[in-house]
Amino acid sequence: MRLENRRPAEGINASHENPLAEFAWLVAGSLALLGAVVAAIALAAEWIAPRLPYRYEARLAARFDPVPAPKSDEARRVQAELQALADRLAARMALPEGMTVRVGYREEGIVNAYATLGGRTVFFRGLLSRLDSEDALAMVMAHELAHLKLRHPAAALGRGAAVGIVLSAISADLGRAAAGALGQAGLVTLFAFSREQERAADAEALRVLAAEYGHVGGAIDLFDAFARLPAAQRDDHVPAIEFVRTHPLTAHRVAAAVEWAGANGVAVDGARRPLPAAIAAVRPREERAS
Amino acid sequence: MDAFVELAILVALLATGFFVGSAIERRHYASIRAREARYADVLAFGFRFPADRVTPQRAFLVTGTVVVSADYFKSFVAGLRNLFGGRLRAYETLLERARREALLRLKEDARRRGARMVVCVRFETTSITAGWAPSIEVFAYGTALIPERADRAA
Repeated sequence: MRLENRRPAEGINASHENPLAEFAWLVAGSLALLGAVVAAIALAAEWIAPRLPYRYEARLAARFDPVPAPKSDEARRVQAELQALADRLAARMALPEGMTVRVGYREEGIVNAYATLGGRTVFFRGLLSRLDSEDALAMVMAHELAHLKLRHPAAALGRGAAVGIVLSAISADLGRAAAGALGQAGLVTLFAFSREQERAADAEALRVLAAEYGHVGGAIDLFDAFARLPAAQRDDHVPAIEFVRTHPLTAHRVAAAVEWAGANGVAVDGARRPLPAAIAAVRPREERAS
Repeated sequence: MDAFVELAILVALLATGFFVGSAIERRHYASIRAREARYADVLAFGFRFPADRVTPQRAFLVTGTVVVSADYFKSFVAGLRNLFGGRLRAYETLLERARREALLRLKEDARRRGARMVVCVRFETTSITAGWAPSIEVFAYGTALIPERADRAA
């Protein structure tokens, strides 16, 4: 027997290729996987949340109150008129069981209104000052009530919470950031609703508008008012235009309203009702202020 | 903000692991190859008994042991690899280095004690993982043989 030791063979038991290529593939694959998981969970949560009984949403919403008490007599009158309109329109909608609509009024120049958890909606002075008729105001109101009826705030919360939970499994800070954005800004102010949700809310609002006024002229007035907004306010980085920015293009909404009216045999135009007194008084004050 | 700090720390750890870890690995391989040439005269085998069973031999245990740790980059890549499966290249080089190093230390032990032949060489591995970077011990041992009479040496 001839005994000898040879040098260990190189490149059989271990490869000496650059590990960065493998690293890049693994990171890309993991991120794609994570993205798919987050998207799937977000979609599932968005689907499930509005199907949970409303009382759970109400219990959650009781922890915060985005509807401030009016500070002046004037604001109190405006708020009461908004609430009366909301109640009148809500009677024509099948709101979820147990939901009571509460309207808040904020004396801020933002051209916006939003719907949030717990059947609450908030209107800003900036928006009221740009409306000419009750019909137009009713279109905004019906649109926000439609969001509430369709449980869009719950869907948005469900999606946000699910994404936050998934991300917190990866990084506590990431999860906290997601939850924070949701808990602070998201819950109280603006949920980002999808275009699809906005279209659904528009459709429901048109139905209510037609039932209440016999025509959908208010919708056309409202979209005209948005189209007349100065370009500066239509810019994406100006928060003043949130209501328009997250919504379908104004021209499309007008077209959709006209089309809906045609399909349902409802008049596009008709006699407008004047704004309630206190709301009508907002406009001159706003013009004096600016 | 915190998430950015976290990400920056992760990137720093990965970069340190990659650059320092690669440099250390390159140097280690160079050293292993040089010493393998130097210890080529000490023969190590896996068979249980000496090939030459006629010559009286002095026999004793020789050992070589080494403890190595993965770097952050290697553990990170291995962690991702655990998601998908497949060849764990990052650890293959680590373990190969450890085994070759352990065998070299065994040969050094043998030569210092005058032996040129080690039989029944075996390897043992112990994981001493603590925290995020796995560490392992590779232990090589065998029976060193020295022929009693020089003229009958194998």
